[in-house]
Amino acid sequence: MENPKAKSDRLEVWIAVLIALVSLTTALATWRTAGLGSKAGDLIYQGFIDEVKRQASATENWRSVYELAGYARDYLVTLDGVIVLENSADPASQEHGAQMRINLLPGMESMGEPLAADPSYLTPEGWLNVQKLFDEMQAKDAQVPGLVPADPQASFTLADKYFSEQRWLVVGTVLIAVSLFWLGLSQLSHLRLRILILVLGIFVYGIGLVWSVGVEVVFFILRGGVM
Amino acid sequence: MNKSDISNPEHGKTLVLVLTLINVVLVAAVSALQVDATIRANQANRDSQYYAIQVTGSISYSGARSDYDVNTYAVSITNTLEALVAGYTASLRQNANDQQGFEALTLESQYYQAQADRATSLSVLQTDPAYGHGVDQAAANFTAYMDDLTSYGTEMLQKQNVASDAYHHWSNKSDSYVAVLTVLAIAFFLLGVAQMTRPGLRLLFSLFAIGVIGIGSLWTLIVLIF
Repeated sequence: MENPKAKSDRLEVWIAVLIALVSLTTALATWRTAGLGSKAGDLIYQGFIDEVKRQASATENWRSVYELAGYARDYLVTLDGVIVLENSADPASQEHGAQMRINLLPGMESMGEPLAADPSYLTPEGWLNVQKLFDEMQAKDAQVPGLVPADPQASFTLADKYFSEQRWLVVGTVLIAVSLFWLGLSQLSHLRLRILILVLGIFVYGIGLVWSVGVEVVFFILRGGVM
Repeated sequence: MNKSDISNPEHGKTLVLVLTLINVVLVAAVSALQVDATIRANQANRDSQYYAIQVTGSISYSGARSDYDVNTYAVSITNTLEALVAGYTASLRQNANDQQGFEALTLESQYYQAQADRATSLSVLQTDPAYGHGVDQAAANFTAYMDDLTSYGTEMLQKQNVASDAYHHWSNKSDSYVAVLTVLAIAFFLLGVAQMTRPGLRLLFSLFAIGVIGIGSLWTLIVLIF
């Protein structure tokens, strides 16, 4: 028959090994939890950069569109005045109108291109269709790689998924940490109580481990295979 | 050292272990709450900054648009007034039997009126029923125009304020949970000392630990509710 003292000593060694294993798992789970928060933070940062670039592009295009609209308005207003001069009965005014058409209007027209001369840039109400020109500028910018980044909402949505995983993984980490306490307690206990506490510790550790792995697998699938 | 300390040096150790277990569970729960509050604070902070970028873009857009619209309106009004003045002066010259002056000023009036008509047709402020009182009326409805112009920016600003408030709310909670965790760490220290010391002092340190755990629990409840 085996000596109970030797049996107890061997169990102590196994408990120590278990404690080391659980400590390692706790460290791993904590590292992963922190890493998820860091990944989410990086994605949010990327989303901000993208949104600032998008906003800068849109702001510059709106500024350009309205600058062109101002030039186009000045051209169209001057043009109608020139037509009055050209159609007048006074020869001097006719000449004045003709000279304006030759020497002034072409320059004004070119500054307001394409709004100034192209009738397709007029709305049914008769206003300059600045929205149409803006959309065209945005579409043109989108063809230049990196100039107009993707919608940041995609980055934010992915960041939210990492945050959700972090939230659920913390539960697993806490369970593993609690099991560490039970295992430590079993090392200090004696006889049947030690076995009972040890089993409890292993059970809680098992739940924590399965929970953490389960969370990892579920969110891996939800993210479409991205760690 | 009293008699009970010598007779049973293990006395009270079970109580300390139970208290430690309670403290562990409490720390675990508060840690989870702290992580959750931090995540919510991060999300609200992100939303706040995202909306702030939208507000900035909206201000730039509103500036460019209002500059064009108001200038177009001004061109229309200026030319209309120039046409009226020229027309009035032409009638004065006609009354003074100055036919040449009358014709020159009539042409000038037509010139300005043609420009005014074109500017008016381009002016949203004068032709959009949402803002314009009509060409024959004195002024456009600038209040309606400004409300429309700033509506998106105002909406974004309101969302930004809400998100910013949420960020401060969750950030404060997160900070409070960290403070609670610090208090519970003190409880751990007291329980550790209780475990190491003789039975008489063990009870005293356990009582201190109970007090600290109670404070930590109460504080957690307050943070959780408010």
